[in-house]
Amino acid sequence: MTDATDLAERAGDRDPRVGLRAVAALRRLLEQLEAVQVRSARHQGWSWQEIAAELGVSRQAVHKKYGRQ
Amino acid sequence: MFERFTEGARGVVEGAVAHAKRADADEVEPGHLLLALLDARGTKGAFALSALGVRPEAVVSDLEEARRRGGVSAADAEALAGLGIDVGEIVSRVEETHGEGALAQGRPRGRRLWSGSGHRPFTREAKTVLEQSLRVALARKEKSIGDEHLLLAMVARPGVVRDVLAGCGVTFDAVERVLGNGNGGAAKAG
Repeated sequence: MTDATDLAERAGDRDPRVGLRAVAALRRLLEQLEAVQVRSARHQGWSWQEIAAELGVSRQAVHKKYGRQ
Repeated sequence: MFERFTEGARGVVEGAVAHAKRADADEVEPGHLLLALLDARGTKGAFALSALGVRPEAVVSDLEEARRRGGVSAADAEALAGLGIDVGEIVSRVEETHGEGALAQGRPRGRRLWSGSGHRPFTREAKTVLEQSLRVALARKEKSIGDEHLLLAMVARPGVVRDVLAGCGVTFDAVERVLGNGNGGAAKAG
């Protein structure tokens, strides 16, 4: 098992674990950032259609993900 | 599977639901399982945590910090720093605009299916912890699933909970060291 300090020490070693961890973490962060922005857009009265257009996804996709409001 | 859970393990599962409810979370996450495990007394899981010198308040604050970073652990943040991404900076800018804890709020949902009742579904990651606890118990050739197996399951797979525990010195190997290797020698369930 690798602990956090080991990971940090290997950061410069091109350890794939560090890179993969960064990608996975970024994906989680991205989901939260999207949620923040979608919530904010809804509060400002944006339609699902408008939000979807800015995100570059279908209206159905964004609606399915964030539900009815 | 649940019929094999000891009273202690059931207590953790029920406690996790209570923690999720208290936090007004729509779903039960692995972090809620860990918080419930910290509440355990007189169980093997509680023994392992205290034998490893875990301070519950440190775990609680590390979990809270990761939540505030949008599910990014301290180790994740370090890995991202290696890519030139300053998570702390992102969090503070988002909070500046959208309020404190903005990244910890989850999905904006209009219909909150469960908020009225005591019901809380488990996230996929939380279900994985429960499934993994069964595998861990099998690998250790132990018949029932106790809260120590839940603890081993939490540190067996990548995620915020494993990172937080690792930060407190709780790794799979460390837990096995204080608990012993079970009935069948060392075997990490995959």
